[in-house]
Amino acid sequence: MHVRFRETSLKDPLFMTGIGLAVIFMVISLLGPFLAPFDPWDMSFVPISPPSETHYLGVNDGGQDIFSELLYAVRNTMLFGFISAFAALGIGVILGASAGWFGGFVDMIVMRIADVLLAVPAIMILIFAAAFFRPTPWTLALILAGFMWPTISKGIRAQTLSLRQSLHVRAAVQMGGGGFYIIRRHLIPEMFPLYLIGLAAKAKMAMFMEASLGFLGLLDPTRKSLGLMINYALNFYYMDVWWNWLMPPILCLSFMIVSVTFLAISLERILDPRLRAALSGRTP
Amino acid sequence: MALVAAFCLAALAMVYLSYALPRLLPGDFVTAMYGSSQVTLSEAQEAELRAYYTGDRGGFGSYIIRLACLDWGYSYVFLSPVSQLFFEALPWTLLLVGLAHLISLVVGFFAGVEVAWRRSTVLERGMVSGMTVLEGVPEISTGILLLLIFSLNLGWFPSAGAETAYADLSMVDRIAGVMHHLVLPLVTLVLAYLPGNFLLTRNSMVMVIKAQYMITARAKGLSPCRVRYAHGARNALLPLVTRFGLRLAFMITGALVVERIYAYPGLGTLLFNAIQARDLPVIQGVVLISSLMVLAVILSLEFVYRIIDPRIDHARAF
Repeated sequence: MHVRFRETSLKDPLFMTGIGLAVIFMVISLLGPFLAPFDPWDMSFVPISPPSETHYLGVNDGGQDIFSELLYAVRNTMLFGFISAFAALGIGVILGASAGWFGGFVDMIVMRIADVLLAVPAIMILIFAAAFFRPTPWTLALILAGFMWPTISKGIRAQTLSLRQSLHVRAAVQMGGGGFYIIRRHLIPEMFPLYLIGLAAKAKMAMFMEASLGFLGLLDPTRKSLGLMINYALNFYYMDVWWNWLMPPILCLSFMIVSVTFLAISLERILDPRLRAALSGRTP
Repeated sequence: MALVAAFCLAALAMVYLSYALPRLLPGDFVTAMYGSSQVTLSEAQEAELRAYYTGDRGGFGSYIIRLACLDWGYSYVFLSPVSQLFFEALPWTLLLVGLAHLISLVVGFFAGVEVAWRRSTVLERGMVSGMTVLEGVPEISTGILLLLIFSLNLGWFPSAGAETAYADLSMVDRIAGVMHHLVLPLVTLVLAYLPGNFLLTRNSMVMVIKAQYMITARAKGLSPCRVRYAHGARNALLPLVTRFGLRLAFMITGALVVERIYAYPGLGTLLFNAIQARDLPVIQGVVLISSLMVLAVILSLEFVYRIIDPRIDHARAF
């Protein structure tokens, strides 16, 4: 899977937009606690005051600084997305490569489980878990990862099946390499480009899920979350606060998800040469 | 039919989870309801509540029988049977989500085919970029923006509900009212579902156009429309249906959010209200039954693939 990544990616406007936005949000979420002018849990300000010199986006109904809240919320949503996406990627790659390499019984079991998990609506299980057990967001992220690995492992399995036939893998088998050795030493590094595509796609799903769960009121109410901010702000839409309270979290969420969507689509067309002709939008 | 067996197992596993998980909780519904609230119960009150709400309800076998008999428990908050609440909300959700899927599938498919046919034109570039951006915008954002603009500022559409409350209307007026309430949530969902369908159809159609049988069909002198749809688009339809099954389970999330934004009286709003009030029997019932319904839809799609593409019987694609 040789691709001239640097040349093609720099010429791709989708990729550049996606990576630009992603870098901005990365910086915001890494530096958030240092950039925030106030403690977002500090409730000592005048509730529902408009934006001013000290409070860039005003103060919410609980007397908390909205700008600081927003910085923490972006950070939490990003972190949730990445933890969930990395966990899904890890499970998906290991199971997909094993299923493709060992075949037979292992393959059948893994792919059957994958088929079934794809059909189960993850949000329902998350709502169930969140309503009954009130787990931490990280537990929820891992549960979500448990529903997102099947699409990744299907792609990895298909790629493993074609890699099995390649010369260097057959040479490794001839030299007496065992299954796990070949998976670890040859298959897993070889399929690296596929991971980037999977990671972006799953991060998108996970961020969307986090915002939705927060919006539905299923996450810890003291934890800052974009969904939760939107939910609270929507209750005050009649008070002319929508542009400084409702809009910022909506715009942040949209740009974050647009960014990972762009990355997923552009990486797919840069890294997967079979698709390049179909996706590029101009005649090759 | 290994797949049917796997789906039945999955359904059974979900039923068992919904039976076992609440019983794993320390205590029961009564402690869950009152444990974290300010109310302090005396021993007698607690015993009485427990007898009233839970009673002695038997094991897993009787749980399944009660499930089949539509006896899904009793809501603490709405004070009516869960099944009644569920079946009051279900038609609205089916109307909203079903119509949104139908419109976005049909429009996405035809637009995708037509645009792929007009390769490298301004129209194609514009449509593809527009849809790619739209693909990234989540339902929460489009929903709230449409609500702010068209309902709260311009006042063209109602902001909540599914029909005009307490109005004594003729049949025609009633249907018009339902449609009027439906517009905004429907547009939000279509905007969320359409880009995926459009981009998928366009991408597979672009590959199909290059196939040799398309050249043959044109060389035979068939009309462009017949070449495009009878020979080309049929092959581009399959990925659309396959992906629909894969995406459906995740698209449920958006429908929940949209119903909550527009306070549309479907299952999503019922679930939202139940979550706000910690009404555990309703959450349990709605989650279980709607997941089983999604499982059934996806299983039946498996049979639709076989009709569209007979090759699948021999080798499972993907």
